[in-house]
Amino acid sequence: MSASRRRRLVAGVLTLTAALLASACSSGGGGSETDSSTVTMMVPLFGTAPDPKGEMQQAVEKLVGKKLQITWVPNADYNDKTNVTLASDKMPQIMVIQGDKTSSFVRAAQAGAFWDLTDKLDKYPNLKNRDARTVRNSSTNGKIYGLYRIRPLLRSAVVINKQWMEKLGLKTPETVDDLYDIAKAFTEKDPDGNGKKDTYGLIIPKWPSPQYGSASPYDVIETWFGAPNVWGERDGKLVPGFDTPEFIEANKFVKKMVDEGLVNPDYATLDSAKWNDPFVQGKGGMIIDVNVRGTNLLDLLKEKDPNDFDKVVTVGNLKRSDGKKFSYPFTGYNGVIAIPRQSVQTEQQLDEVLTVLDKMASKEGGILLSNGIEGRNFKVQDGSAARINQDDPKIKVVQQDVEKAFIQLGTTASVGLGAYPDLYADKPHQDQVTLRNKLAEEDLKTAVHNPALPVMPPTAIAKGQTLDPIITDARIKFISGAIDEAGLKAEIKRWYDNGGTQIAAETNDLVSKLGN
Amino acid sequence: MPNQSTTHQHTLGSRVFDVLNIALLSFLALITILPLMYVLAGSFASEAEIASRPFFLWPEKFVTTTYEYIFDSGTFVRALLTTICVTAVGTVVQVLLTFTMAYPLAKRYLPGRTLVLNLVIFTLVFTGGMIPTYLVVRDLGMLDSYWALILPLAINPFYLIIVKSFFQELPQALEEAARIDGCNEMGVFFKIVLPLSKPIIATFSLFYAVGIWNDYMSPLLYIDDSKKWTLQVLVRQLTSPDAQNAMAMLESVFFPTQGLKFAVVVIATLPILLFYPFLQKHFSKGVLLGSVKE
Amino acid sequence: MATDLAPPPTRAATKPGRRRERLTFRTALLRYRWLYLMLLPGLAYFIVFKYLPMYGVTIAFQDFLPFLGYSGSPWVGFKHFEELFNGPDFGRLMFNTLILALLTAVFVFPAPIIVALMLNELRHSVLKRSIQSLVYIPHFLSWTIVASLTYLLFSVDFGVIATFFHELLGGKKIDYVAQPDWFRPIIVFQLLWKQTGWGTIIYLAALAGVNTDLYEAARMDGAGRFRQFWHITLPAIRPTIVVMAVLTSGHLLDTGFEQIWLMTGALNRSSADVFDTFVYYMGITQGAFSYSTAVGLFKGLVGVLLIFGSNWLAKRLGQRGLF
Repeated sequence: MSASRRRRLVAGVLTLTAALLASACSSGGGGSETDSSTVTMMVPLFGTAPDPKGEMQQAVEKLVGKKLQITWVPNADYNDKTNVTLASDKMPQIMVIQGDKTSSFVRAAQAGAFWDLTDKLDKYPNLKNRDARTVRNSSTNGKIYGLYRIRPLLRSAVVINKQWMEKLGLKTPETVDDLYDIAKAFTEKDPDGNGKKDTYGLIIPKWPSPQYGSASPYDVIETWFGAPNVWGERDGKLVPGFDTPEFIEANKFVKKMVDEGLVNPDYATLDSAKWNDPFVQGKGGMIIDVNVRGTNLLDLLKEKDPNDFDKVVTVGNLKRSDGKKFSYPFTGYNGVIAIPRQSVQTEQQLDEVLTVLDKMASKEGGILLSNGIEGRNFKVQDGSAARINQDDPKIKVVQQDVEKAFIQLGTTASVGLGAYPDLYADKPHQDQVTLRNKLAEEDLKTAVHNPALPVMPPTAIAKGQTLDPIITDARIKFISGAIDEAGLKAEIKRWYDNGGTQIAAETNDLVSKLGN
Repeated sequence: MPNQSTTHQHTLGSRVFDVLNIALLSFLALITILPLMYVLAGSFASEAEIASRPFFLWPEKFVTTTYEYIFDSGTFVRALLTTICVTAVGTVVQVLLTFTMAYPLAKRYLPGRTLVLNLVIFTLVFTGGMIPTYLVVRDLGMLDSYWALILPLAINPFYLIIVKSFFQELPQALEEAARIDGCNEMGVFFKIVLPLSKPIIATFSLFYAVGIWNDYMSPLLYIDDSKKWTLQVLVRQLTSPDAQNAMAMLESVFFPTQGLKFAVVVIATLPILLFYPFLQKHFSKGVLLGSVKE
Repeated sequence: MATDLAPPPTRAATKPGRRRERLTFRTALLRYRWLYLMLLPGLAYFIVFKYLPMYGVTIAFQDFLPFLGYSGSPWVGFKHFEELFNGPDFGRLMFNTLILALLTAVFVFPAPIIVALMLNELRHSVLKRSIQSLVYIPHFLSWTIVASLTYLLFSVDFGVIATFFHELLGGKKIDYVAQPDWFRPIIVFQLLWKQTGWGTIIYLAALAGVNTDLYEAARMDGAGRFRQFWHITLPAIRPTIVVMAVLTSGHLLDTGFEQIWLMTGALNRSSADVFDTFVYYMGITQGAFSYSTAVGLFKGLVGVLLIFGSNWLAKRLGQRGLF
């Protein structure tokens, strides 16, 4: 190839690609000027971004009476995008904040980046009467910087292999001792009937978060034994949950199960994405996790064998040996919706934005955002949302837009919570959901809440989460036998020595300032 | 080239070496390919099968639901085309910028060269960070423009220095000849040096192309308009551990399945993988050095 | 033999100008105008996209908050550096990071060179190409996938590899992915698996540049295969190896956050905690822009010292180095 031909070729390639870039790649991209008839938002996304002219977005626009301009951001790196957005002058008017308890959000809010909504909400019928517990949990040092996005408050449960229970003639457990007995039977009495001792009772994965009190099976069991949920009152002051005899008792209990082989041998390393696998394979018989794990397992079992999948039974939180019951609650929300002051400058503009949020928080707003468009993608049947027209490609888009995108804008409603629960086609699934809700309602009465959720002690912020792994690691080391009880206590002391003492003092101080 | 059998005497030692060499390399290829086979097989298996079989190389029952799910979202094809466009243009731009800058830096006699090299090496280890770079891109008016995916990463200092040292190894004689024929430095570069550097151009085209193809952060930060998203943005969130974690702990609507994760890997890598064999011929061909005596 | 030894006899400089001649700025600019012109776009790139944002490093001395920006965030002097160096974890982090860096230098860095040389000796061209295209694929898998494959294969419960070793060696089953002793070997193994094939590309490109005549001539002289390798192949890629070694040394303390974070568990954290993961835990509640920038500055400083040091060393050993 001669040099000139080569150059022509290169030039050709360049023009071609430039043309491609101009034509195929530069569609869309309208202006971003906004007027009072448009509301801008930044929202996390779990699937593909909805079409701004799509049916779903139009329905929401009709509801709030304004045009929406939504920047959808992939959930995985939502926080990075939040940070560059905060640093730029391109803030939206409504912003979903996922790390509402991170210092970068709270300090930004305190510095005036976001509206303090503490006493701005009473005017709005759907924003004022919100769940008191969740309002408290989502507030920070007494201030409300955003509207919580509600989630069920009580979600912890035990999911058990129903067929194994029936085969061995076991009753559903009520206490932790029953749990132990079932685990023992599942391990030693050959529940799958293959003549081999190749099963175990409880499945525990490697917990992805090294934070203490992050709803791991360990955290749940500790609460059942009576340990505080992260913080709790002992002798008139708040102490961390791990500095109680109940914490040690609970972990001795887990250790005993591990030592006797009642737990999967790879409990320290099992990938949490593969938590279901031993259950589906019929190797392990119990999971302590969120209650939706039950329907998740049913999905898999049904896919494996559509004729024989009714193998799951869910039970709620368990009692301690002495019959006292302590249930493990969640925070009740997932992030908040905050309003930046840079884009919403006056009280009047704030009123406009809050009016939009109020409409979205209404009964019909919650249903629209969580279930979709009634008569299009679902219909109401026995108080549940039954999906319809799912074969129609257009409806499929609506369904996707709801599930993967718009549901993220729900504040006072989520599926089955202020909006309709999903109606399942088969009985085992439907029973599961009914049972789950009944159990959650029952367990909520005995829930042990974390009184320190609304406070952010400065030392805890400064140390980041570098102290938490001391405890969560020590717990697993104790269970695995790498350290003994004295070693576990020494690690707890190390937590105090490395800054825990200050964190405890500050937490007590801040919580007492909050009152109630 | 040593792979032409004529270059070697077929001694016993040589044959033994060949056998061992082939055996060892095949073993390497095998341990590479087995886990990949699992990923591929898993992408065609049902979720229940992935959950019930610890490791397999062939699904019992072929299902394509995960792929249907990905293709179903009408945005997939657009994202794929966008990514191909951006990668093609970006690679040309980046290779051109890198090679033109590397050439003068290879000239030891050029005054000021050391200063520039020091500046380059400094950026190898120090960066201003995500936010200041974002602000520069914004001030240049490149937000929501495809140039934001190309220009901020146009010259990788690491690659620049390697290309520079490749240039230093090129024989001088041809350049001299061209100069005597009246070419200026630019002419020498385009007429003599670049044609001599085919394997290196192929290599760095691959590196840059893969870099743009796999880049997830730039589109995430610089592109707000979801219509302009690239493939990586579209698919990465489905495989992200954060999403999984958030879901398992807080959400009840969506669990990304393992099969989906595998399918995403296959889909996001296959197009760029096809690029390699195309370039490969340049690696084995060698350069036209035969005409030049060192 | 190479370009940089003699300046070109341009028409502007008729006398046989030598390097040591002092050029005024103006004459240099004129004489090398084409070269400077070629340098210009690249230089502009570095100034705009690398040096303009460089003010960002100042946040290491602030308590940076994105909303307050670079001018609004409070200055705190060396607070974050003090935290880093005086913190109870510094020694352990430094030790773990250095050990991993050392292992990477010893095992991971040479691997692509060896495989490239082995591939180069492969006479069967179809086989060569196929193997080459296979071994480089793992580069495209994310660490998430690599980590879950590792857990899958090494699981003490059902892992194929763990079971294989158990049956081969007998004894008690070892939970490889949980034990601190096995953490580093696994990290190194993952790196080897993921990056070796990809790393060969650059060396194969260097090997493609070897003049075929040289082998011909050597063969005529009766040089055997090993001598051809020793006297022709190896010298041909030595400059590339040196440049790669010098450049890689600048990133010695970068251990790759994602890989390590994914492989860290409660039981192996004592070996696993490195600067990059520690910064992450700081960041969960803190945002930690300033702290991580401070750590980055420290690592960068070490990196610059290492680059210049190893470059100096390379030159002392008679290699060309970077400059």
